[in-house]
Amino acid sequence: MSSVEDILAAENELTHLLGAQQAVVLSTRIRLARNLDGLPFPGWAKVPQRKEIADRCVEALEALPKFRRGHVLRMGDLGDRDRSVLVERHLVSKELASGKSGAAVISRDQTCSVMVNEEDHLRIQVVKAGWHLRGTWHIAEQLDDALGGSLKLAFSDRLGYLTACPTNVGTGLRASAMVHLPGLCLAGHMDKVSRALNQDGLAVRGWLGEGTEAAGNVFQISNQQTLGLSEEAILKHLGGWIKNLVEQEWNARRRLAQEEGEKFVDRLARSLGVLRSARLLTSSEAMNMLSHLRLACDMGCLPEERRHLVDRLMIEGQPAHVQARAGQELDSDGRDRRRAAVVREALKDFPEVVPPTV
Amino acid sequence: MSQPIKCSLCEEAATVHLSQVVHGNVTKVHLCEACAQKGGATDPAVFQLADALTSASPAPALTCPKCGFTDIDFRKRGRLGCPSCWETFGDVLGGLLLKVQHEAAHVGRAPAGTLPAGQLRRRLEDARREMEKAITGEDYEAAARLRDEIAGLEKQLAPL
Repeated sequence: MSSVEDILAAENELTHLLGAQQAVVLSTRIRLARNLDGLPFPGWAKVPQRKEIADRCVEALEALPKFRRGHVLRMGDLGDRDRSVLVERHLVSKELASGKSGAAVISRDQTCSVMVNEEDHLRIQVVKAGWHLRGTWHIAEQLDDALGGSLKLAFSDRLGYLTACPTNVGTGLRASAMVHLPGLCLAGHMDKVSRALNQDGLAVRGWLGEGTEAAGNVFQISNQQTLGLSEEAILKHLGGWIKNLVEQEWNARRRLAQEEGEKFVDRLARSLGVLRSARLLTSSEAMNMLSHLRLACDMGCLPEERRHLVDRLMIEGQPAHVQARAGQELDSDGRDRRRAAVVREALKDFPEVVPPTV
Repeated sequence: MSQPIKCSLCEEAATVHLSQVVHGNVTKVHLCEACAQKGGATDPAVFQLADALTSASPAPALTCPKCGFTDIDFRKRGRLGCPSCWETFGDVLGGLLLKVQHEAAHVGRAPAGTLPAGQLRRRLEDARREMEKAITGEDYEAAARLRDEIAGLEKQLAPL
């Protein structure tokens, strides 16, 4: 069994309710950019240097208790589909997956994944299901300390952690929350919200990161500034906005449910109906309707304990996941057919949608 | 025919033209199809970086002694060659950092086992100022406490 098959088969943080699942915030993520002192950044390094970087980083990572019985994946050893699966799970970036000299070291529970030879030598990532900014940060901090103990990291007194790109220098910290905002989207407020966040130094991206569409009303919100603010200040700033955003999202949902009444329930019920009987389902169609189902679970229109299943389908309904599960390459129609079958099977004993209770 | 506008991030011809208004300032960015798709069109960080790159005045050619990277390479890629480049291109980067990051000095964590000297130095400056104030305000108890703290900080910074 390949390591990627292991990753797909294992129960893990994001698809199996190991963390506390929450309405609105799907997951919290911390990323730290770090580089080895004295070696060129991956984009400028020659092939033998990139190999040296990968070997040194992987060796240091494998020695950490956090990665015991984890996975070490060298991008050059993986096929296209396996690399896409990792991207769809947010374990590696598209950039890492598109090169040959990158590697990813992933903890057994898939909460920690360190990308080696992406834009920087090391990109430490920690993710937790739900909204857990402090806990996620704490794990990243420990990993950073442990790595700093075994590797000499590029650091300047004045500029902090030195990175390949000026947008990451200083703390190298990108803290983000994956938020599900169907209320604000349906109410047509998302442009306004996005602008307000941008103006206050936060970036709003789609489901798969940079440049992707916000399929399923899911957005990734993260800090922009990494220099001149302490980690504490960055986390506090993001935390304050997310709290505010969650509140606004709930207000929008309640208002919609109240104003639309039966129409609101009808919309959610139709989505369940389509997902339960469609024979062909594109990935964006599935995402948008699963978004309605997640909303239904949050609002008491469907039982809350079904929410984790919706989250899992959002991840496993993506193209590479569908093909990996099928164990074969599929064309577009084949994927849509297979996706529809997986969703139908998962939702077959879902109860009917009822009017909201919150 | 007029000269085609070049992409702010690479050398390709730009086909996507964007304007953004932040705090009343208009920023214009031109991107080629590839950079726009890569996220340039929606990522505010790229927006700021592209703007800073295009508006920075041309500097004399600089080459990093450690890795051979030049300022022309930086203009093309928007990424640096190695950690030492931060020193080599310090002047060029200083202005850019103020634009992209709004700040030019680190105040966060330092690697485990190393002294966060930048923070010690800043604390030292603050403590000196506070001591002056304490003396002016005739709070000699506070001044004495600060004097001890300053001595301690100076000792910690001495070997660096």
